[in-house]
Amino acid sequence: MNVQNLMKKYDGKAVVDSVSFEIPKGNVISLIGPNGAGKSTVMGMISRLIAKDAGTVRFEEKDLSRWKSRDLSKRLAILTQHNNVQMKLTVRELVAFGRFPYSGSRLTREDQAIIDQAIAYMELNEFEERFIDELSGGQRQRAYIAMVIAQDTDYVLLDEPTNNLDIYYATNMMKTVRRLCDELGKTVILVLHEINYAAFYSDYICAFRDGKIAKFGTVEEVITKETLSAIYRVDFEIMNIGGKPLTIYY
Amino acid sequence: MKNVKSRTKKSNIQKLIILAVLVVISAVVYMTFSINFTNPKFFAFSMKIRTPKLLAMLIAAFAIGGASIVFQSIINNTIVTPCLLGMNALYTLIHTLTFFAFGSGSILAANSNLAFFLDLIIMIFTAGFIYGYLFRQTNYNVLYVLLIGTVLSSFFGSIQSTMVRVMDPNEYEVLLVSLVASFDNINSEILLFGVIILALLIFILRRDLALLDVITLGKDQAINLGVDYDRCIRRLLIGVTVCIAVATAMVGPISFLGLILANLSRQLLRTYRHTHLILGSALIGMMVLVAGQCVVEHVFSYTIPVSVFITIGGGVYFLYLLVRQKNR
Repeated sequence: MNVQNLMKKYDGKAVVDSVSFEIPKGNVISLIGPNGAGKSTVMGMISRLIAKDAGTVRFEEKDLSRWKSRDLSKRLAILTQHNNVQMKLTVRELVAFGRFPYSGSRLTREDQAIIDQAIAYMELNEFEERFIDELSGGQRQRAYIAMVIAQDTDYVLLDEPTNNLDIYYATNMMKTVRRLCDELGKTVILVLHEINYAAFYSDYICAFRDGKIAKFGTVEEVITKETLSAIYRVDFEIMNIGGKPLTIYY
Repeated sequence: MKNVKSRTKKSNIQKLIILAVLVVISAVVYMTFSINFTNPKFFAFSMKIRTPKLLAMLIAAFAIGGASIVFQSIINNTIVTPCLLGMNALYTLIHTLTFFAFGSGSILAANSNLAFFLDLIIMIFTAGFIYGYLFRQTNYNVLYVLLIGTVLSSFFGSIQSTMVRVMDPNEYEVLLVSLVASFDNINSEILLFGVIILALLIFILRRDLALLDVITLGKDQAINLGVDYDRCIRRLLIGVTVCIAVATAMVGPISFLGLILANLSRQLLRTYRHTHLILGSALIGMMVLVAGQCVVEHVFSYTIPVSVFITIGGGVYFLYLLVRQKNR
């Protein structure tokens, strides 16, 4: 995926300003930055949820706007934070929606098998028939991830997947992200607030500030005292734990 | 585990069949209650009165029940219905407006199908414009939509009553007959036309209706799964408008009916499948209307119209739903 000069304006003010980057396939890429830096907007634009004002997004050598939405949904999945379902929907029914781009509402036996796998992968078997609105936040998030797995795409985009989760669920979520990449070979792009999760679990980090890319590179390149202090405007210390740079800010 | 799922599905189908049977029973009771079988002339006379009424109720129930479910799913909220947003007030206004503009001497007054068709066209454009714009501006925020809808509802009502006041009394006489359609005074001339329009509508929107299940996952998820969201919503909204116009033209405005039907159907079936929900809503509507009208005609002997019961019951139910949602 290649992004060139991406631009988005709200009320004449540029929230995303000439952003260009290339997503290295088969990696976990985290987008970090302070509030309002434009990371979620960029995520929205590269996943066709938000209309861009200028620039190009090329996905698999083809302009994103020239993809048929249905075809794109077999290659790229996005999970945002706005997921309040008013319906009475069980976990299994939710996961089954992941097969919609392939079979519509008529699921084949193959679809059922894939749904079973996705549910097993996220260890949701015991919740399979529970209604979504009766689950805890962490369980619900896992159900949505299972749906994304059932969607069977090369690219998975997650907008703040650890939001509103406690340390246990958040850490497990990040481990799942890693597994999606390492075991299932997916390219995962995620927006994160916690710098340490980004540092520990990603391959590449893209740091935003004021709608522009402040730094894009490997974890070691981005997680430095100077870069982070400049982006977040607070003091940072970098420690090395288990071969990964972790940050302390105060 | 799969058995559990097919069991709920099966029980839903059972519930729908029971509902359908109840509808048939109430229809039969309605048609045959205290009827004179011995004299064929009396019999034919009663049939002539009761048949179009029954048909109008069935069609209206289907239109209102179906439209309410679709509408709720579009804006992802179960306490809002098209009538609460003033759609039937808009229809009444448009109907008055066309009468006002063309007068009772025109062909529109003589041919109610033509008048209905004209109303429908105007309704589609104005409703599409007003509500489409409204939803986009408020970003589908339910509270705003509900608030503005209530304001619009009385706004349309006020314009309409102003026009009625400045109208020529003779014109008003003619208008009144076709305007205040009710269960005791149904507009039977447009029955056939209404059925044709509804059938066409379902045929044209069949693809969009199939997408409703996905649309209830929310805008982001629907787009993620490859749905052309904005186009689909636009088309469905037009469909809802047409349904409300058909029902209002036939039996007049009934504010809370859609709310009751849609929510009862959701409570009864507890599913996300819209084929089931829409069917359930329509069947409950048919049962409520036909059985209610039966009671009104034979127990209260026409003193209280069925819409009064529906409005009272619906109002209480609406409050209950609001309180219950707040507690969640």
